[in-house]
Amino acid sequence: MRLRPMIAATAVLALAACGGNSAGDSGEPKGGGTLRVSFWPDNPTFSCIDPFQVYWIESRTIIRNYADSLTDQDPQTGKIVPWLAKTWEISPDALTYTFHLRDDVTFANGRKLDAQAVADNATGWIQTVKDTNGAAYGSSYIQGLTGATVTDPHTVVFRLSKPNSSFLQATSTTNLAITDPAEFRLTPAERCTGKGVVGSGLFQLDHYTAKVETVLTKRPGYAWGSALSTNTGEAKLAKVVFNYVAEDSVRTGNLISGATDIAWPRNPFSPQDEQLISKSGDKVEARSLPGVSLTLFGNVSAGHPLSDPALRQALFKAIDVKTYATTLYGATYPIVEGPFDRATPYFKSQAAKLAYDPDGAGKALDAVGWLVGADGIRAKNGAKLTIDYPLTTFNPGAELLQAQLKKVGIDLKLRQLTTAQSATYLKEGSYDLTSTYFTRADPGALQFIINPEVANSKALARQAAAPAETAQIQALFKKALETTDPASAGKAYGELQDYLVDNAITFPLAERVQKAGVSGKVHGFAFTSESFLRLNDVWKD
Amino acid sequence: MTAAVADVVTEVPRAADEAGGRRANLIANLGQLARKPVFLLSALYVLFVVVSAFWPQLFSAQDPYETNPATVAQAPGAAHLFGTDIYGRDLWSRVLHGSPLTIKATLIALAIALVAGLGLGIVAGFFGGVLDAVLMRGIDVLLAIPGLLLALSIVTALGYGTVPVAVAVGVAIVPGFARTTRAEVLRVKTLPYVEAARAGGASWTRVLLRHILPNSWGPVAVLAVLDAGVAIIAIASLSFLGFGAAPPAAEWGTLIADGRNYLVTSWWLSLLPGLFVALLVLGLNHISKTLQELTR
Repeated sequence: MRLRPMIAATAVLALAACGGNSAGDSGEPKGGGTLRVSFWPDNPTFSCIDPFQVYWIESRTIIRNYADSLTDQDPQTGKIVPWLAKTWEISPDALTYTFHLRDDVTFANGRKLDAQAVADNATGWIQTVKDTNGAAYGSSYIQGLTGATVTDPHTVVFRLSKPNSSFLQATSTTNLAITDPAEFRLTPAERCTGKGVVGSGLFQLDHYTAKVETVLTKRPGYAWGSALSTNTGEAKLAKVVFNYVAEDSVRTGNLISGATDIAWPRNPFSPQDEQLISKSGDKVEARSLPGVSLTLFGNVSAGHPLSDPALRQALFKAIDVKTYATTLYGATYPIVEGPFDRATPYFKSQAAKLAYDPDGAGKALDAVGWLVGADGIRAKNGAKLTIDYPLTTFNPGAELLQAQLKKVGIDLKLRQLTTAQSATYLKEGSYDLTSTYFTRADPGALQFIINPEVANSKALARQAAAPAETAQIQALFKKALETTDPASAGKAYGELQDYLVDNAITFPLAERVQKAGVSGKVHGFAFTSESFLRLNDVWKD
Repeated sequence: MTAAVADVVTEVPRAADEAGGRRANLIANLGQLARKPVFLLSALYVLFVVVSAFWPQLFSAQDPYETNPATVAQAPGAAHLFGTDIYGRDLWSRVLHGSPLTIKATLIALAIALVAGLGLGIVAGFFGGVLDAVLMRGIDVLLAIPGLLLALSIVTALGYGTVPVAVAVGVAIVPGFARTTRAEVLRVKTLPYVEAARAGGASWTRVLLRHILPNSWGPVAVLAVLDAGVAIIAIASLSFLGFGAAPPAAEWGTLIADGRNYLVTSWWLSLLPGLFVALLVLGLNHISKTLQELTR
């Protein structure tokens, strides 16, 4: 793990500054108190708190603390461990998953969480996929699931129509958290507001006011935390209030002034903010987010400059990922090494192929006829080498990228989008380059960007690679998914990562690290395997 | 803006036709101005900004777009007068290269406001009657909508960039000009020399262009200087909100917006461009106030 030195460095910094408050924590845990967490803004287009439908990282962080899943995933090893299910078996053909449940679990409304409730959840998920035309994010986790049957009150069997090696990992995610199946009688839109959503977690959802706040209150009698936390019983905190703060500086300022206890930004803190937090006696916690790294995807359809593979290859040499990371996020920030963040299982480093080599990029472009013009921008047959890169809130540092590409004679046009345009530019194909990412502790995450069959933006997926390449990518995913043997899945995912970079289909830009500014008063802070917030051990002075 | 309009309308205009004629009057006025140090300072500063807007390279040799990871977020000093931004670019040079965008936008906005405002005001004031009533009700509607809000709606419809922002701001300040011009025209129209010209056989067109227009544009000119400040603030506000020129070009408002996440750690990023703009607007205000005093 390359991440460790960084966390250690941060911890040392924090220790030096405040004289000793680290995540492990000394002192007797205190009960009670309200924890205040500040996020960046809630999803403007799809505000939702229903586990199965939501993809917004902040909402999933909240869900993790009020709804439990069948299994849990160890953030250190990626291993799947028991949670609501004590044990499980997977059939040799990988088509049936049998889970044996704990028998002491109840939902927050007192209803028993038994095999029937789990089976009804499966039915509800499949129905939700139909109701939303596959738009619900959970649909990407239950590919091939046909339903679940109850064999006895504590045993439930999931049946799949085709193998899906990431299904077991899927059962550990917030998207497949088990809720009171009564919620599935409501429409997906109603459930998004939190109506009828009842989990079995160590907190219960008090209310969710979209774009304003979410409040969780302690669930009395909770006793079934997974073994990944020291405390498997009731929460130490009485209440947790999550709110949304748009400005990064205000969020950091709130932490320093004590107005909030945890500042949880989406884009990592700037090095300046990080210093400020450490100086003020608070800590910066960090963990690489598993899943797809912050990646550029080209539009390779005909008529767009990136349809030329030679040009795409030159982009790797032209983009200086190291400077990008250190300039934006500080000298200790990890450097991206491939299509996935390194916390992702089956990660295979592509660092050598991503090395910065502006001269090499220049030569490669010269060789295919893109020659430097008088203004320093390359041109071929009178057409300038201009790449259209629409700006969204998900691509920080665009001006830095622009400056890097300019050095090799590529004119990266940054285009501010209107609200209307940002909803349609992918569909219209009016872009040459766009950036996105997806968080999930499984390489299958990339499918939902790049495989047109299941992608969230089908347009982006279709335009990201030529049809033959897309077919090859799908084949590699199929190979990895249709085996339950980790070694052969690892081999297939390794091949996939090589293929994506060798054919210049994804352009990794930065590793994604979830950073959190944690007040010196907060103890027991922990990340889940998806780098969400785990509150089981958290207490406040 | 509206308060300023009312202020200007009540002014007594410069008596250009008094003894000594226009030129002598002008020389006397200039002598008076030269004895006002704050006015001189303001004028010099505004002149500097305008010159730098057209030839920024005269005042800064550094490339405003060249990123330099080694000199990220450096405090102001000898090497970098305004410090460097988070990509290591020289902020002084970026402010100067931002001047052309903002100043040109201001000039476009003022040109729109002057042409449209003068035109509407003269037509309404001169012809009066139903035409006046209709035009002025239209102006009333525009006056009823807050200027920045109107500009925001226009720029959303036109798209992003320097010219759309300029058009939006220009349209938003038209009503003030139209009102001021109309009031002046109404006043000048009844003066004896207009009657004398008519009695002497001059056509209405000649009276309008030769007698009414030159004698009513004084307060409008003062308003133009005053509104230049208003326009700069409006343009900076719109570019602060992200409607301005595409990166890496940076209008002043964009520079201020870019620095707002670093107010505690790198204060110069927002503060210095902000001061630069504030001084310019204060300077313009002072100049227009001084000109108003002169006309008393």
